[in-house]
Amino acid sequence: MTMNRHEPFEELISASLTDDLTPTERQRLDAHLDSCDACRATLAAFADQRRIMSGLRHVAPPRDLGARVRTGIERGRFAAVPWWRRPAVIFAGVGGSLAAVAGALLAIVILNGQASDPPVGVNTSPTPSAIVEPSETERPTLPPIATPTPDASPVETSEPSPEPSATENPVVEAPEPDIVMAVTGPVEDLSLSVVEGSTGETVADVQAPDEDPAGEPVGPIGPPIVAELSPDGQWLAFITEKGQSGLNDVWATRLSEAPEPVDPEASPPVDSTAAIGETVHLGVSIAGSPFLQRLAWSPDGAHLAYTLMNPDAGEEADEVNTDVWVFDTAEASTRQITDTGTAYAASFLPVDEDGAPPRLWISRAGPEPLSSLHELPEDGGTIAPEDGAMSFAEGVFQPLLSPNGSLVIFWSGQMATDRDHGWIFAFDGAPQLAEVTVEEGIHSFVEERPVFSDLPSRGELFRSAAITWSLDGDAYAVWHADWLGETSDDAPYPDANRVYFGHATDPRGLTQRHAIDSADVADGMVVVDVEVAPTGRHLLVTARERAAGLEAPRAELRLITRNLGNVADDFKTVDVAEDGWAGPAVFHPHGEPDWDSSLAP
Amino acid sequence: MAVPGPIPWDAPAVTRHAVDAREVEFERLFEEYSAPIHNYVLRMVGDHDRAADITQDTFIKAYRKLDTVTDATSTRSWLYRIATNTAIDDMRRRRMVTPMGDDAPAFANRPDQGPGPEAQVMASTLDERVQRALLSLRPNHRQCLLLSDLDDMSAQQIGEVMGLSYAAVRTLLCRARGEMRRALSAEGFAR
Repeated sequence: MTMNRHEPFEELISASLTDDLTPTERQRLDAHLDSCDACRATLAAFADQRRIMSGLRHVAPPRDLGARVRTGIERGRFAAVPWWRRPAVIFAGVGGSLAAVAGALLAIVILNGQASDPPVGVNTSPTPSAIVEPSETERPTLPPIATPTPDASPVETSEPSPEPSATENPVVEAPEPDIVMAVTGPVEDLSLSVVEGSTGETVADVQAPDEDPAGEPVGPIGPPIVAELSPDGQWLAFITEKGQSGLNDVWATRLSEAPEPVDPEASPPVDSTAAIGETVHLGVSIAGSPFLQRLAWSPDGAHLAYTLMNPDAGEEADEVNTDVWVFDTAEASTRQITDTGTAYAASFLPVDEDGAPPRLWISRAGPEPLSSLHELPEDGGTIAPEDGAMSFAEGVFQPLLSPNGSLVIFWSGQMATDRDHGWIFAFDGAPQLAEVTVEEGIHSFVEERPVFSDLPSRGELFRSAAITWSLDGDAYAVWHADWLGETSDDAPYPDANRVYFGHATDPRGLTQRHAIDSADVADGMVVVDVEVAPTGRHLLVTARERAAGLEAPRAELRLITRNLGNVADDFKTVDVAEDGWAGPAVFHPHGEPDWDSSLAP
Repeated sequence: MAVPGPIPWDAPAVTRHAVDAREVEFERLFEEYSAPIHNYVLRMVGDHDRAADITQDTFIKAYRKLDTVTDATSTRSWLYRIATNTAIDDMRRRRMVTPMGDDAPAFANRPDQGPGPEAQVMASTLDERVQRALLSLRPNHRQCLLLSDLDDMSAQQIGEVMGLSYAAVRTLLCRARGEMRRALSAEGFAR
């Protein structure tokens, strides 16, 4: 991208229209305008434009707007009050008076669940356990498909209990996340820290560097929306919002020293030139769809693959430019590894032999998406899906391998561009679950079936969704479902604000009844991120308040325990950032790390 | 009028005087800002019904958050920020997919039976042409351009609404003007 010689002056010309120039800038601009026809034309065009805009017809609001607002206020006045404290009858005043309330509360015992929509249990009653190491000997395979018919209820694995009790559905002690991101402080001076989940102690205060590895200036850090810990626990990669600009920043903070090698014969852990507590800016991207928010670590923690959608790409409004970048932790440096303008990062392969080069699935977005497996190129090299691939997967987009690599969730369908979101699905878009087989070095996805099993027969109407695996390689969650099909107003499904929580070993796949309870996310909040605990039974859900006003952004982190039958899920708030932003949270892939030895200075 | 029966033990102690003051303040805000906010939202989304709904939601949210406003001078920015976020939420819910590229799905290449672009431009009013140009901009470009040129906000005020620094607003506004210049040109405006 090159800058033409008029560009710096165009910004001054623009600012001059609203008197936003310093005297020095004014002098500089005036001197330039004296000698530049092109910039004088720009000034005239911008001034015309401002005149046209300010002369636009003012359209009066509808006459009943005041009454509609008043009615909305009265209706919502008690929405946030628990049902047992709400008045039985509300007489909404019309035209400005406060609601008059009459009637007595009726004491009705209602189970804190949804009898008509019980949560679904899992086949194999999972129990909490220590962190599950990815293991070649524990490769789950997919069961035969048990697709529910539209008229029948999904298969129940446990009989609904009319009077659930703790003994029938014991709530196991919930696992604390290893680390949680927390944002506190006023909106103009947000402070981001990394907190140990079990103790609440600060692991690192994240300080934005002045510039990125390319020397470009970097702004302040906004609220985090995605986070992934490197497998060796040294680095936390995360994505933050850049104010209301519609852009995101990608970052990585070094949290700890390289771990001691367990096997002296194995390759030594990757060290880094970055200091403990140092934060590196990895790039800026248009916020876009969940496909852009994939942070894929290599198994040794040496590389992070991610996707950037260039905010300055092209002059055409619909132009989309996405490419895959890699962060090399050893040198704390970034590099672009694709140059196609349509590439997305997917997954690294788990290590199957010591010393093998890291191998990465990348995807080419398009009407017919294509994924391909490549060895990570040398520094400065680029890869293209069509060239030098070890395996191809036609019609497959962004394959997300389970942690041990035996299963995969990928997208199928035809894609199109949306200028706000990059590439998303336009036709037949749906996530698919499959097994991974490797024969003579060729990787294949077999036994494919839709992740959602109870959507209508022409149900492939997703545009996008966010998906994550648990470290146990079985549990997974889907949220931010962007669905084009008809949904019921009573119970929209798939619901963009519900989390669908299932297990690969569950033959039903995901159904409407796999949604977490609606009460699991507080009223007025929307899901930001989900982490599935290695127990396969717990979710850590980061939910934000819908932004309003100039107050600092708020999000809370809820630890949800999935219950069986018609017993409502249990949840509790993980208290790490009072009146601030808590989450996302992450678990360490290989057991609980010792953060104490690596506290930031 | 008071709620009959016992007051819940943890109900906030709101006095009648405080409630009245809140109502008066809200009425003032509605009186002063409902028309400009509605106009701004209408230009953001380009649809009368949606603009009315978004304006309605904006003031309902403002009422609920009224207690959090402490600095009287920032009230306008605060309201515009709520309106902006509500409009963006609405646009996200309703966004449309635009297939593109040579190998885009077949329907994109169907012969168009309607009037050509030139005829459309000629048939439109000035207001419609400007609105079409506005709607072709990226949302953040449209937003800052409207705040600047329709609502006459300074870069500082736009920054308060959009959560951006002064410098970032200046850059964004310049890009928005460039994009709008091309969009207006496509609509047949001379420069």
